[in-house]
Amino acid sequence: MSSDVRNDLKYTDDHEWLKVENKNAKVGITDHAQSELTDIVFVELPEIGKTVKKGDELCVVESVKSVSEIYAPVGGKVVGVNKKLEDEPEQINNSPYDDGWLVEIEIENKSEIDELLDADSYKKMI
Amino acid sequence: MPVKSPLHDLHKEFGARFTEFAGFEMPIQYTSIKDEHLTVRKSVGIFDVSHMSNVWITGDGAEDLISLTTVEDASKIPDGKSQYTAILRENGTVIDDTIFMHLGDKFMMIPNAGMADIVTNWLNEKAAEHNICANVENVSNEYVILAIQGPKSRDTLQKLTKTDLKNIGFFSCQYIKIADTDCIISHTGYTGELGFELQITPTTAAEKVFRKILEAGKEFGIKPIGLGARDTLRLEKGFILAGNEFEGGRTPLEAIMSWTINWDHDFIGKDALLKQKEKGDYERLTSIVFTEKGIPRHGCEIQKDGKKVGMVTSGTLSPCLNIGIAMGYVKPDFREQNNTLDVIVRNKPFKAKVVKPPFVPKDWAQN
Repeated sequence: MSSDVRNDLKYTDDHEWLKVENKNAKVGITDHAQSELTDIVFVELPEIGKTVKKGDELCVVESVKSVSEIYAPVGGKVVGVNKKLEDEPEQINNSPYDDGWLVEIEIENKSEIDELLDADSYKKMI
Repeated sequence: MPVKSPLHDLHKEFGARFTEFAGFEMPIQYTSIKDEHLTVRKSVGIFDVSHMSNVWITGDGAEDLISLTTVEDASKIPDGKSQYTAILRENGTVIDDTIFMHLGDKFMMIPNAGMADIVTNWLNEKAAEHNICANVENVSNEYVILAIQGPKSRDTLQKLTKTDLKNIGFFSCQYIKIADTDCIISHTGYTGELGFELQITPTTAAEKVFRKILEAGKEFGIKPIGLGARDTLRLEKGFILAGNEFEGGRTPLEAIMSWTINWDHDFIGKDALLKQKEKGDYERLTSIVFTEKGIPRHGCEIQKDGKKVGMVTSGTLSPCLNIGIAMGYVKPDFREQNNTLDVIVRNKPFKAKVVKPPFVPKDWAQN
């Protein structure tokens, strides 16, 4: 079963995706990651306004059996969280790139985006 | 290298993902834990539990040896009955919890995964020390164990045997032919649902039985079930898991297994238990539900007003109830029903309360 990898996104080798929109970026986990985790049943989101450095723990996604930390693909300030996931964590399984987004970050240093993987490199990795 | 089940390739064929558990590589899930869990609650599932051990206890003194080394008086368990019990050290802590089956003039014991040699050696040692004429043999490698569990388990198996399964009562066992294959059947399980466990030897005969059961259960939507759902199914019923709930050395009194103890006979560990009982001041396994969103996990601290009063040994999100549930050892003053406690997950307190097990009542899916 091959996973969906979208061309307009950037990726990390921890299976997070980043969608850049001007100075902000939405972050989520990839289709491959959600299918590996299966049934996501709980999400712990950060406080809005929290600042994170690249690689810091951003949020936690739990399946029935596992706890997975999600790391910030870029540094910056948390300006939005997908509150809907607190009631419907399964959206991450159903729609990892759209309704299942996790956090929106105001990017502090745009050059960090260049360090991320493009779709082709991520496809090769998984 | 972990040991693979004789059915490993079959599990691969059904899309299993594997995990290592107590030295065995076993399926953790095929589709998803939640889906498999609900399949067992509502209909029927089949588990390969060959990681569990098989030990034959034979000889004139077999019964005496079991009575000496477990909290059960084996002379009270008639031929054709299975019994859940515990094997204790002299200090009263549990070596293993197990089921033994009384099959004619011998007994088959089913210790936990990875416990076969420990239990076999312990029993043989005690037989020698006490001059009991019994032989204990680890035959785990010769058996595949299948568990068929769920409200439709009997209807599924009945299609494959001439024996009327209604005549095999709860915690009864006997030799039987299932799918033209000689098995030992026991009306037992670890899910809290109607269910049966099959011991199959030689192991090469098991693949056919597994496939026939899947075929017979097709009309009920039977699925193969992994260890992930096995764990959530047992936890919803408040059943203990040896590796978690006995960690660090726990007595049956602490693990709320006093109901299994037959005090009217002498057994190894009895004196220690009597002393503990008299003293009374010991932690006990306690069932806890979250009253807010969150998932308790093994090792989470349990607090009352910021002070540690216990520790979670098993925790999960209940697939049936969709709330966090846990078992853990809690100090005596804090385990009254409805008492509110905090469980610390990632340094944050989550509100919880003490409840009476099981978390999920009998026949949940029917109500």
